[in-house]
Parts: sequence; structure tokens; C-alpha cells
Amino acid sequence: MTRNKDTISRFHDRYSLPVTDAALAVEREVIGANVGASGYTTVAQADALIPELRLRPGTLLLDVGAGRGWPGIYLAQETGCRVVLADIPAPGLAAAVKRAREGRISDRASFVRAAAEHLPFQSGMFDAVVHTDTL
Amino acid sequence: MLRACNRLLRPAGRIAFYTIFIPSGLSQAEYRRAARAGPSAVTSRGRQQPDLLRSAGFTGVREIDVTAAFLRATRAWHEARARYAGQLSQAEGEASFRERQRDYRLQARAIEAGLLRRSLFVAERAA
Repeated sequence: MTRNKDTISRFHDRYSLPVTDAALAVEREVIGANVGASGYTTVAQADALIPELRLRPGTLLLDVGAGRGWPGIYLAQETGCRVVLADIPAPGLAAAVKRAREGRISDRASFVRAAAEHLPFQSGMFDAVVHTDTL
Repeated sequence: MLRACNRLLRPAGRIAFYTIFIPSGLSQAEYRRAARAGPSAVTSRGRQQPDLLRSAGFTGVREIDVTAAFLRATRAWHEARARYAGQLSQAEGEASFRERQRDYRLQARAIEAGLLRRSLFVAERAA
């Protein structure tokens, strides 16, 4: 198995784990909220992305390697921007769809199963791109 | 991937990303240790992010070092998960839980030793 496939497989397994009270408590303590995070981007660090990407209502944001929707869903909730979330592991995207629905931003969120190296979008269509520890 | 992102952005569109990487200037032995200790998606040594961004067509490249916060988060994952070891082991499986805890310990040591860094990079597609 290649390193890339191994990584995808590992995240697929991680996103498939049941969401337990213990996992939620740990995430709140490390990240600062329950946002579907499993990496190192805290809420404060996600907030720092908003001015850097100049996000506002109407902006179209692409979150590459979106996992369970962190931070793309959160950024859309905080700024009113539209977001497209792209990643490969299906369990992560399923969780992101659920988060968007719960956050009442389903009308501003789209989901695409695609690898970062092969993003199926038209040239020049996004105002901003974000990713966290994807490369 | 940065070239793909550049293509997808409108002129003057912006990219921002956090990334974990192995700093330049390490010995071969240090590099191997860093590669073992970092997450599987850690970037390889060689051309560093600012050069990669510029060669992909970005301008106004800035780096904000967040390595200290990276170390705090790595330790926090390890310590918080240890407090819930029983429940997490049951959910993840004992072997998987132990492996992740070991990985956090190795990663924290590598960050402390200056073998891994994490930064926020910000850039703009040329107008």
C-alpha cells in the first residue's frame, strides 16, 4: 500500500469510529469546541483564517481535505460565505454533511469526493482556498 | 496540489493553510527521525513552502509560525486521551489507542527537538 493510500485508509477508519462522550470531551479540551476536528487547528487558529482569506457573505471558499468539515463548515457559519468541501474518505464527508445540516448552512455548503491532486472544478471559480495539514 | 489550487482561484484570490513540515538543515539521521515522528501527511524536506507557493504562481507569501501551539495541542491530545483511556480504548481498539498515544509522544519529542514545525502560510494568486 502506498503512503498516500495508507493515509487515506487511516483517516477512513478514524472517521468511521463512533462519536463517544469521551471523544467529544477530548476534542473540546484540545480544540476548544466540538467541530469534528482530529488534528491541530484550534478554534482560535480557525478564527485567524477569516481575515486572511477575507471571507464574507457571498465569498466562495474551497476546503481541500475537509475531513469531517473542520474548518470549512465553521468558517461558513461564522462569515456567511459559501463553501465547497472536498475529500476522499466517505465517512468524513458524511459527517460534514450532517454538520452542515445541524448548523443550518446546507444551502451554502457543497460536498465533493475528490483528491487534492485532482479537483474537478472550473478554473478561477473560487475566491479562497483553505486546508489544514493536508500537505 | 498548490498549482491546482492556484488554477482554481480567481485572480487575487487567497489561499491560507496550516501545514506541518520538516525544517531544512537537518542531518540525515534527524530527518529520518522527524519523518518517523510526524503525521503521515507531513511534507518532505527539500523546497520549502514559500518557494513552492511562488513557483505555483502565488504572490505576497507570508508565514506565521505556530509551532508552539502545535506542541501544546500534541501534548493536549495525549494527556486528554490518557484521562479517557478506558472509553477510548473500547471505541478505537486497544492496539489502535496505544499506537496513537505512542505517536503523540514521539511527535511531541520531535517538536521539542526542533525536528517538526507547523506554520500558517498565506498567499494570493497573482492578479
